[in-house]
Amino acid sequence: MTELAQPPARFREVARAKLADARVQAAVDVSTARLRSHRLDAWGALEGIEELRQRAHDVRMRGVRDLDRYLAEFTAALEARGGHVKVCATAEEACAYVVEVCRRRGATLLAKSKSMATEEIGLNAALEAAGVRPVETDLGEYILQLAGGHPAHIVAPALEKTKEDVAALFTEVEGHPVPTDLEELTQSARRQLRKVFLEADVGVTGANFAVAQTGTIVTVTNEGNARLVSSLPKVHIAITGIERLVPELADLAPLLKLLARSGTGQPLSSYTQLITGPRREGEEDGPEELHVVFLENGRRNLLGTKYEEMLACIRCGACLNVCPVYRKTAGEAYGPVYSGPMGAVLVPLLVGLGQARSLPHASSLCGACAEACPVKIPLHELLLELRRDLVERRLVSRRERLAMTLWSLAWSRALSYRLTTWAARLGQPLAGRWGPGRTWAEGRAVPRLARRRFRDWR
Amino acid sequence: MSAQRVQLFATCLGDLLFPEAVADADLLLREAGFEVEFPHRQVCCGQPAFNSGHRKAARRVARTFARAFSRSLPVVVPSGSCTTMVAHYLPELLGVEPYEVWELSAFLDARSSELPRRNEGRTVAYHDSCHMLRELRITTPPRRLLERSGAEVVMLPRPDLCCGFGGTFSVRQPEVSVAMADDKLAAAQAVKAEALVTADPGCLMHLRGRSERTGGLPIVHLATALARGASA
Repeated sequence: MTELAQPPARFREVARAKLADARVQAAVDVSTARLRSHRLDAWGALEGIEELRQRAHDVRMRGVRDLDRYLAEFTAALEARGGHVKVCATAEEACAYVVEVCRRRGATLLAKSKSMATEEIGLNAALEAAGVRPVETDLGEYILQLAGGHPAHIVAPALEKTKEDVAALFTEVEGHPVPTDLEELTQSARRQLRKVFLEADVGVTGANFAVAQTGTIVTVTNEGNARLVSSLPKVHIAITGIERLVPELADLAPLLKLLARSGTGQPLSSYTQLITGPRREGEEDGPEELHVVFLENGRRNLLGTKYEEMLACIRCGACLNVCPVYRKTAGEAYGPVYSGPMGAVLVPLLVGLGQARSLPHASSLCGACAEACPVKIPLHELLLELRRDLVERRLVSRRERLAMTLWSLAWSRALSYRLTTWAARLGQPLAGRWGPGRTWAEGRAVPRLARRRFRDWR
Repeated sequence: MSAQRVQLFATCLGDLLFPEAVADADLLLREAGFEVEFPHRQVCCGQPAFNSGHRKAARRVARTFARAFSRSLPVVVPSGSCTTMVAHYLPELLGVEPYEVWELSAFLDARSSELPRRNEGRTVAYHDSCHMLRELRITTPPRRLLERSGAEVVMLPRPDLCCGFGGTFSVRQPEVSVAMADDKLAAAQAVKAEALVTADPGCLMHLRGRSERTGGLPIVHLATALARGASA
């Protein structure tokens, strides 16, 4: 299983390394700025964007708030069409289910289209351990798989990689030099992936949404790989978070209107696919078997809590593209799977706050994320709530708690404020020498306490 | 008719680090014809603790605001983030009725007619603090005031980007925080601003600290820019 939990010092360590890498800085800046401006243009071209966002929010929350009902509806509808539904409480359970299907079908090659849920459960490692070779077919994910890395962005996973990086990786696979020309790179990727589509025994996709009413899963891609992965192999397994259920087909309208526009600025992605059941009698394409795996993996912890709205997330990446902290740190600092503001909120909720203590503080609370979120998740407010829970559950250092208590006692009265700030002026020469002052002083001049406070001359 | 009275909230950073900027705010309000009261029991709005999740500590400090200020007169604050704290969070935190609280530039823009042209011939950039940009939605008033004072206000590329202060974020993730400041300072230099003006003491402390360390451009509080000119 992929380790979502992360030690408190990790964010800062990775961030430092990313800051020192000028190439990463330039790549992330250019990509996020482009995606952001495309989203703004696309949103601007829509009439009534605010009403649309509210509708999308409401649709998502309707699904989330009545999850079990819609799960039962979805299951009944898909099973009536000959599909299988499996709800998995943990990552291990979900991986075991996929491995078991592969074993039963004697599968050795598995084609995957992009899915954050499979990243979350560490599916590739589980498959490899069971003797099944998984191949990513989303171009960005494929590049990362060759390079042995994790996605740096939920929509543009390989945004840190340059065309030179990609050419080097492809050259190794093909055994002859592949030029850095974009057309050549595309042709090379096609040659490599076509074989996989045709030979794979099992196809695994994610699902952007699951429609309860009809038992339909929806995949949204730009490369068309999900379409090939879900139709060419004899078995199709779709893996998605349990929260992606929406009540009715009509509910897809506001969501599909917003998803691609928010992610890449497109009115609609190149391929939007609605799949309802495996191949039926008399049909020529489609898999013999269709499995939909719903992943819980901590998501139920959010139901009915102040964090419930996080389950509305549609993984569009808009919050990453506007986040000034993501822009400087790139995805990896947040952990191997989810990054940016959505990751900073979601990961502590999935793995437990104590296992990802630094993430709620990996933000300047500037609020750009909430403003960019198409389904109106108040991301920075949720980060603030997580910080509050960190304190209330005593997950912050004793030193921090003591400092806050002493400070608040000193400043709880004007008289003691006057005395302590007067005393602090005597200590000014020491300000940059220890504790947070020293950290501050490493990059910035230490502010000087004024000889006379405003209150002294007024 | 006697002048309308307002209460001035200096804020802790203003009181301790930038008293001259608070004095400038005081002067601007008087010039605009207001009688300015300074309630002496004021301390701080509690935001440093609140934003770090320490509600109990935040309440303890925020109560000083409730004890010092009256609801019958407007409170004017030369800080966007403290205005946000008092307007959006403090009433709920303490379980008290809201105050009539104004960020300085929004107040001056709405209520004052004349502004001396102290920035004639100067080119400045204005840095939107996140609280003013997204919580208070005050973007035009500070720029309009600067223009009314004679300055040419140039637009920063990516004015939406945070400068990296973020309260305790600045010391929890100091490298990222400083890198964000560097981007902001470079942006101001790229548009050839003589000074970078901000209406938030937090951003001011952070950006000025970085600019002093790297030999960058002057960072000036909006009140100072309006009361004494952006080179003051």
